[in-house]
Amino acid sequence: MNQTLMQKLFFNRVALYLAVIVLAVYSAFPIYWMISSSLRPTQEILTNPTLLPRSLTFQYYYSLLAQTDYPRQFLNSLIVALTTVVLTMILSIMIAYGVTRTRIRGKQMIIAGMLYAYMFPPLLLAIPLFAMFNLVGLNDTLLSLVISHLTITMPLGVWFLWGFFKTMPFELEEAAMVDGCTRLGAFFRVVLPLSIPGLVTVAIFAFLLSWTDYTFALVMIGSDANKTVPLGLASMVGAFDLRWGDIMAGSTLIALPLFAAFTMLSRYFVQGLTAGAVKG
Amino acid sequence: MTRWLLPGFLTVGAIATLVLIVGPALYAVSLSFYDIPSLTSDPVWVGLNKYAVVLSSGEFWNAMWNGIVYAGLTIILQVVLGIGFALILNQKFVGRSLLRGLTFLPYLLPTVIAVLTFKWMVDGSFGIITILMHEWGLPAVNWFETEAASMFSVILISVWLWTPFVTTTFLAGLQTVPVQLYEAARVDGAGPIRQFFHITLPMLRPILTVIVLLRGVWMFNKLDVIWLTTGGGPLGATEHLPVLSYRKAFALFDIGSGAAIATLSFLVLMIAVTLYFRAFPMEEVK
Amino acid sequence: MKPIDKRAGLLTRRQTIQGIGGVGLGLSVSGLAAPAVHAQSKRPIRFLNGETGKDTLAFFAMAAKLYEEKTGTEVIIDSVPLGEAFTKLTNGIRSGTPYDIGTTGFIGQVLLLAEEGHIVPVNEITDQYEWGNNILFPIDEKVYWYPFDYNLALIYYRKDLYEKAGLSVPTTWDQFATNCEATVEGRQKGCLFPIGSNGATNWMSFGFMWAEGVELFDNQWNVILDSPELAPKAAAYLDFMARLYPTMPTGSLQASYGDVLSNVVAGTVAHGAYAGRVIESAERDNPEIAAQLDVMPYMDSTGSRTAANHGYDGWMVMNTDNSSAAMEFMNWMTSELIVDFLHTAPVHFQPTRLDIYDNDRWRDNALIKKHSGMIETMRGLITDESVVVTSIDTQGPNPDVRPGKVFESFALPEMLQNKILRGMDSDEAVSAAAEKIRQAVG
Repeated sequence: MNQTLMQKLFFNRVALYLAVIVLAVYSAFPIYWMISSSLRPTQEILTNPTLLPRSLTFQYYYSLLAQTDYPRQFLNSLIVALTTVVLTMILSIMIAYGVTRTRIRGKQMIIAGMLYAYMFPPLLLAIPLFAMFNLVGLNDTLLSLVISHLTITMPLGVWFLWGFFKTMPFELEEAAMVDGCTRLGAFFRVVLPLSIPGLVTVAIFAFLLSWTDYTFALVMIGSDANKTVPLGLASMVGAFDLRWGDIMAGSTLIALPLFAAFTMLSRYFVQGLTAGAVKG
Repeated sequence: MTRWLLPGFLTVGAIATLVLIVGPALYAVSLSFYDIPSLTSDPVWVGLNKYAVVLSSGEFWNAMWNGIVYAGLTIILQVVLGIGFALILNQKFVGRSLLRGLTFLPYLLPTVIAVLTFKWMVDGSFGIITILMHEWGLPAVNWFETEAASMFSVILISVWLWTPFVTTTFLAGLQTVPVQLYEAARVDGAGPIRQFFHITLPMLRPILTVIVLLRGVWMFNKLDVIWLTTGGGPLGATEHLPVLSYRKAFALFDIGSGAAIATLSFLVLMIAVTLYFRAFPMEEVK
Repeated sequence: MKPIDKRAGLLTRRQTIQGIGGVGLGLSVSGLAAPAVHAQSKRPIRFLNGETGKDTLAFFAMAAKLYEEKTGTEVIIDSVPLGEAFTKLTNGIRSGTPYDIGTTGFIGQVLLLAEEGHIVPVNEITDQYEWGNNILFPIDEKVYWYPFDYNLALIYYRKDLYEKAGLSVPTTWDQFATNCEATVEGRQKGCLFPIGSNGATNWMSFGFMWAEGVELFDNQWNVILDSPELAPKAAAYLDFMARLYPTMPTGSLQASYGDVLSNVVAGTVAHGAYAGRVIESAERDNPEIAAQLDVMPYMDSTGSRTAANHGYDGWMVMNTDNSSAAMEFMNWMTSELIVDFLHTAPVHFQPTRLDIYDNDRWRDNALIKKHSGMIETMRGLITDESVVVTSIDTQGPNPDVRPGKVFESFALPEMLQNKILRGMDSDEAVSAAAEKIRQAVG
């Protein structure tokens, strides 16, 4: 190898690592700052914060968990998100599978309709949904929030899974049915296992949408007892006393379980995302 | 059993769709034909009056324009940055899988947290960015104090939050491009830039088409970043259609106008998406 | 009080949606959910509290227990941030499970409830006392709430910085601006007054304008902000605020109650508006600063008048089958325990009843003793007739819902933004604001 080529290679390496560092700081610094702010004493936060904390404290976590509604809100968020995931999965699997495996007219319309449903401004749905919940006495309940979230997650779920089921050859199910499976059996034993990446993706999307939702919660939930974490966090800031340490601790507590879950599921997620995006 | 499975599935789906989406949607649209002046009085049918008022108001067109700017710039930046990041992450370097994980994290954060953290970092007195800039002798940045700066800030937050979706999808797509294509191109003497434009981009076009569509719809309807960051201010500089609709319906108690604005925004989006399908037909038409 | 409540406004979004529930479906929600009155003997008293400070919550738990021991009547306390109290109160009325006592921080809400007959006069527990200026807001001699604090927005400033720079307490706008300019040093700024379209700006930034004699309405509810007499004063106020602006930290457009509080407590600004919570917060988080804080009212341009901006909070007795029991409880609590209640936020809960200022038990509190000078200043503001005590939502010849709408429209914060951010001519900004107010009140 001649020297200019070596130089060029070296230069490329340096440029790459520079880009890597910039990318890492860009992505992670706000998250680092969130976590590190949640561990600093108030005096340090307010007087002269340095990049590295000089002393650590868990006081905010303690006060959050012991003195506020945080645990309750966390539980609410978890209940809402998990229920949303389950219902989204059931409904979107049924619709997507039904649509791909029948020859009915207007099939395209159903799928197109799902996309248009995704386009419908969530806020516009929130108004009538709220009025409907009021009529049936569901106002200000966690269930009302779950149903609201379904209006976004279900169309998205159908859209993704439709792409999955569509590419799955009929023959697989037929073979299973010939072997004595019912259609339902074939569905459970053949179709679902093969769609796991897609299912995981939809589940994660539904979970994230529900877990991070602020808009619907703002409209649907009134009482303290039913607040979800994003809503509780936002009202903490709105209040008269700005407690950055507590807010950052609360944020960290919402984010960490997600980070953990993502780390465990990322393989499926990436697979599913690609498959979903490529196929439709 | 077998015979009834699929129709059963479809029936459940149809009911769910009707109850969850079609019903509320029609109801919502119908609200835009009424005037509901106060709590105690009955709604009054006003026909298209709300639409006339909304369409002739400056704030609607201001919000429309802001929405286009916001959605347009956030998508362009997300796509450009997302592709750039994906290309970096596709190289070989130490700590690659760690960085792949790190770059995805912002996507997992609730908007509220991203907004709060951003505000906390740029706080005029206690923000780390303000303090560092002061220490380095740089002038303080007015993140929210001018109309353009406010728009810049909400775009920045949105891009930070949602670029990882593009990055990850594109990165996954990159793995599917056959290596032989690049080798052949290299033999033909094509540099990395030409390879990118002649192989990578065309191969990943289907992914890009879907990404832009999904992100575009999402950004156009997205309320919370702007609502939590600037509330549409200062003086309407960051007010887009969702914020305007929310403000009309929930702050000024004019549900009719709020619904009319939301309906109009849905129509605009529908037209845009239809045009988009024309321009970029998707494989296996949906 | 939580100043945040001002954002919730007269009508809440939830109510509004409930109101429209019938459209399209052809059903009337309000009819369906008409209040059902349950006749019951000695049912528990339901109290909706809006003060969610830790100590205040403990106080209510104690009071409820004491009352049950004493009378056998159970008192159930529900606590929500004041910003959500009104929603909760009206939801209760609609669903047939009304509260017996409610908390509010907005006189417009009191009026609305009084007009619709949801609350009863509380004269029997207010008439016996002497009250500070401009706080009871009676309608035809009837008092509909029991205000428990003034929550005046005042200017807090740093004595040590004044001493260091050889400054004296300002009595004119020019002196105030000069002091703000003189106290800018590195990251420490001169002052912080919010200018964004939010409740904090409505509460903290217009005291100067009231001191100057600006009013929004005349006796017939005509908007007079841009009248030949007042327009120049309002314009002068804008020029003054524009002069203060460069001495503020960046971000005054976003500044909320909490931002101003943190800045004053952390010592990053030399002047900032707030109520007594500043003291309690500083004593907790930054005691060195607490010792250096003092308070002054808003002043006018010539040094002839001062003002303070209302915040006030109070309790209302709701019109239920349990009203008389609720009234009894209120009578007991406000006569026996009011001092204990006020002590849960000693400086912040500025007494409304004049007799409390001379109450030995009230005075016997560490914070009140320590900041007695400040307390005297605050007391002076509500007894001295020459001090203007007002706020956007209490403007006009008599209590009314219209000023509440002005509050909600953020017409005045936008006037500040037009001047400061857009560089609009002051006169023009004033006329634009007056126009917006006219629109808001219809």
